Amino acid sequence: MRVQLMMALRYLRGRKLRTALTTMAVVFGVAVLFGMNALLPTMLQAFRQTVMAATGKVDLMFTSVTDGPFPADRVEIIQGMEGIAEVTGSLRRNILLPPDMASQAGLNAVTLVGVDPEVAARMRHYPLKEGRFLAADDGDAVVVSKGLAEKLGLAPGSTLTLPSAKGTTDFEVVGILNVPSIPGVEEVYVPLPAAQRLLEMPGQINVIEATVKPGVDRDEVEKAALAALGDLFKAEPPEVGEELIASLEMGEIAFALFGVMALAIGAFIILNTFRTVVVERRHDLGMLRAVGASRRAVVGLILAESLLQGVLGTAAGLAAGYGLAWVLLLSVKSVMQQYLRMEAIAPIITLPNLMTAVVLGLGATLAGGLWPALAAGRVTPVEALRPVVPGAYERAARRRGTVGAVLVVLAALALLTGNFNLAALGTLLFLVGLVLVAPVLVSPLSRLFGRLLALIFAREGRLAEGNLARQPNRAAITASALMVGLAMILALAGIVTSTFDGFMSYIDHSLRADFLLMPASLVLGGGNVGAGPELVEEIRAVPGVAGATTLRLATAAVDGLTVQVVGVDPETYPQLSGLVFRYGDSEEAFAALGRERAMIVNGVFAAQRRVKVGDVLTLQTPEGKREYRVVGVGSDYLNAKLVTAYISQANLERDFHQTADLLVMVEAADDADMAAVQARLEEIVRKYPSFVLTEWRSFREEQERVFGQSVSLFNVIGVMFALPSLLAMVNTLTINVMERTREIGVLRAVGSTRRQVRRMVIAESLLLGALGTAFGILAGLWLGYVLVAGMNVSGFVIPYYFPYTGVLVAVAVGLLIGVGAAVLPARRAARLDVVAALRYE
Amino acid sequence: MPIIQTENLTKIYGTGETAVVALDHINMAVEKGEFLAVMGPSGCGKSTLLHLVGGLDRPTEGRVLLDGRDLTALEDDNLAALRRRRIGFVFQFYNLIPVLTALENAALPLLLDGVRPAEAHRHAAEWLQRLGMGDRLHHRPDQLSGGQQQRVAIARALVAEPDLILADEPTGNLDSRAGDEIAALLRRISSEWGRTILLVTHDPRIAAHADRILFMKDGRIIDETRLAGTGEEQAQALRERMETL
Ligand SMILES: Nc1ncnc2c1ncn2[C@@H]1O[C@H](COP(=O)(O)OP(=O)(O)O)[C@@H](O)[C@H]1O
Ligand SMILES: [Mg+2]
Repeated sequence: MRVQLMMALRYLRGRKLRTALTTMAVVFGVAVLFGMNALLPTMLQAFRQTVMAATGKVDLMFTSVTDGPFPADRVEIIQGMEGIAEVTGSLRRNILLPPDMASQAGLNAVTLVGVDPEVAARMRHYPLKEGRFLAADDGDAVVVSKGLAEKLGLAPGSTLTLPSAKGTTDFEVVGILNVPSIPGVEEVYVPLPAAQRLLEMPGQINVIEATVKPGVDRDEVEKAALAALGDLFKAEPPEVGEELIASLEMGEIAFALFGVMALAIGAFIILNTFRTVVVERRHDLGMLRAVGASRRAVVGLILAESLLQGVLGTAAGLAAGYGLAWVLLLSVKSVMQQYLRMEAIAPIITLPNLMTAVVLGLGATLAGGLWPALAAGRVTPVEALRPVVPGAYERAARRRGTVGAVLVVLAALALLTGNFNLAALGTLLFLVGLVLVAPVLVSPLSRLFGRLLALIFAREGRLAEGNLARQPNRAAITASALMVGLAMILALAGIVTSTFDGFMSYIDHSLRADFLLMPASLVLGGGNVGAGPELVEEIRAVPGVAGATTLRLATAAVDGLTVQVVGVDPETYPQLSGLVFRYGDSEEAFAALGRERAMIVNGVFAAQRRVKVGDVLTLQTPEGKREYRVVGVGSDYLNAKLVTAYISQANLERDFHQTADLLVMVEAADDADMAAVQARLEEIVRKYPSFVLTEWRSFREEQERVFGQSVSLFNVIGVMFALPSLLAMVNTLTINVMERTREIGVLRAVGSTRRQVRRMVIAESLLLGALGTAFGILAGLWLGYVLVAGMNVSGFVIPYYFPYTGVLVAVAVGLLIGVGAAVLPARRAARLDVVAALRYE
Repeated sequence: MPIIQTENLTKIYGTGETAVVALDHINMAVEKGEFLAVMGPSGCGKSTLLHLVGGLDRPTEGRVLLDGRDLTALEDDNLAALRRRRIGFVFQFYNLIPVLTALENAALPLLLDGVRPAEAHRHAAEWLQRLGMGDRLHHRPDQLSGGQQQRVAIARALVAEPDLILADEPTGNLDSRAGDEIAALLRRISSEWGRTILLVTHDPRIAAHADRILFMKDGRIIDETRLAGTGEEQAQALRERMETL
């Protein structure tokens, strides 16, 4: 092993630029993986600590499986149980603040907590800064945090106006809590009856909290309590801010995936480089075998080289990742300090994270080096001593080409099955297949492009074409470096285009009313305060309004899956808006909704539970189990991402006791004065602070703008993906020229001018660029299509849109790279000292 | 017992119409300590013979016996070990590893065999010294002339102290003065250090240093001669003999 390491080191040192470029690929992946995973846990931990400090602790917490409300008397079931010290029921709901208050407070919503003042004060410690905590005989009294009080200028005795189902309710501030405020989890405390009035939920609570007696096994009590409560209830870990934590955790996963993908590309680049290395070093390898190196020793040499690069790249990647984490942390530090009161925060290096990054970094390089290493082991000693026999090579290439073609066909079949797992596997087959087929395609394709090129570079084009055709394997390797980069760009473009166009068409089809009254958060859930029936009646009475329809919301569970249930009016909803149907007929489905317990499920629901039209599902409702027949699969814009079922508002009231309108769609008459209608609607909305009036056209424009922003984010990611493989292309091309040094010397010796040599190299690079672009577009379109298909399988249905711009960009980038990559090598070739070149080995 | 013996050694490249018979039932032997040259026109199969004898390639038919042991029956790893320990190769293109120094190149077979670097380097340095390369130990191949590179290659062939040296046109890439020096060196290796040498060449001046010469044509051995007398006379005789082939 020592010899191999020594030689590996020497070879790497001998080709510094190439080593650096190849190593970069690993550095990038490891840095993302390690850096992000060092950063996010820090933020998570900081967040958790602060949240814990603010909310204090209870031992047990129960909610309904539907996350919906339930009668307050359920508390009594727990009350008498053995081991329980205290128990209380409360009602927690996020409520949206009216826009002016929201901007003043710097947050959209607060969590309204209705508590039993006496019991709550016994179970938790509420540190007071001013005033007092709630008392048993308080009416509309509220206790707020210090931060919120400062922002809104509240003091004991002042008034806090909160939006309610009837409009607004005024609360008297009685106390200020000395706890830090956290965006998204700001809590305001009111007596339970006041909360029930505000939210129009008389006699209802949605959380039971309890503490256990000292020395009692908490888990035992929890189990017993759950058994007593029945299967409508679930136990919750006593944590707040779960949504934020969940999205941070999501971020962790996303970045981990991103890092792994970057490493996969890194592995491909390593593979590419070492394939070149083996081709280039055939002679040396054969010679080593001739002087007695065993096959294993030769395999070890190449593996040692890739491992060294892996060690180098991983080490640099760890350092870069740590730096990245610090830079990001410093940029959010002021925000963190302000909200989380964390003074000293630093990236956390955990052993598992370190191990993961190291194992994946080294693993990627070893994986990339393995195939070339095995190929190196097959180099026979005689090969070093004789020129390669073209016949044998062509036969091998053709055999591999056939295998590749078979793989591509298999991949196509896998795609046709519509099974996502098979399609994903197919993508892998497709890429491998393409790499195998590429050398066979090099000759015909380079002839094709060569003819085009001959129009510009008459003589050099022919020469370049000949050069490629003579070394199809090497040409294919170079081109496939470009292929990977472009494929990534194009695949992303495919997804982005499809998502963008898909969303826009969703808006056009399912949210098409002249005016929308919607919650500011743009999601139906999240405990938005709805409106009573007066709102929509008032709107219908406005002159010039042709019709109005509303959406209502509840939560149900189907076999443990939480489902958001949207209540629609089966008559007016399809007239004003409607769903984008995938299965089932709109007219029949809505008719069924009005007739019976029927529901339309959205794509995500259908995919997760393999639901078909005609199935009968049992929904867990606050009233118990109810059977609903599936009459269609379709989605609207707002709920496309969430597991959703649409039922009639009549059924929603009967089974879920929900009557609040969360969204109102308004259609103006054809001849109406739009400005007048809008002005009148604005007047009405002012009384309902949790609603925002939006005109459809400006809503669409706003959505388009927001999307545009995320598209540019995707573009940045695309470039980050593409960059390493583009470097690889420059890398391989430079090697190409270096290897032909002697040949170029001959050309110069027999009278080629520098200009001709330069043009020859550029022509060749352009040809390679064209090849790589062709392969890249093929692979990218395929990958994009599969990814979109994958999203469809997950139920988030968007049609595939062909990324025309993406293809144009890919062509432009490919050709630019073709020329750009040639600049250095061409200069090098033209500057060659003829005599030295002839002696070059 | 001869150190090398071939039995009906045959090598056919390719199949069907394009098949080339490079070696056609060769039976020959090399005695221990002998300096044997094989001569013949280009393409007659000399290199193929050398490759088969050195276990670099496998015959289509027949056997190669090294000290009575059948090479064709050996596994790849055993052949590699054999090449490391028992056989030294010298090629026309010196085939040195470009990133290693003269010393490291010469020490390679020992290093590959797991000998400690310090010891391997000591051996290599000794041989380089003997071959007149003592002042060039730490030069890389591209810093050496052709003749010097070939000396490094010869040191590499000798470093593991093998009994058998196989040389394929070792002077083919050198000018006549450097070629003569290398040929004289091979002679010394045979007389002074007692190695068996099998040399392949088409240059009579080089072959004239050998004890015995085999003449090949179209994959067959067609003649044999034992040499005596001065180098120049022999070379002249060989030149005439080659013309008739
Ligand atoms: N790998 C090969 N494939 C096909 N024919 C070969 C191969 N190697 C050598 N030959 C042919 O075998 C014959 C003998 O070659 P070689 O042993 O190299 O001759 P010499 O060394 O005497 O010049 C020649 O005709 C040559 O073309
Ligand atoms: Mg030869």
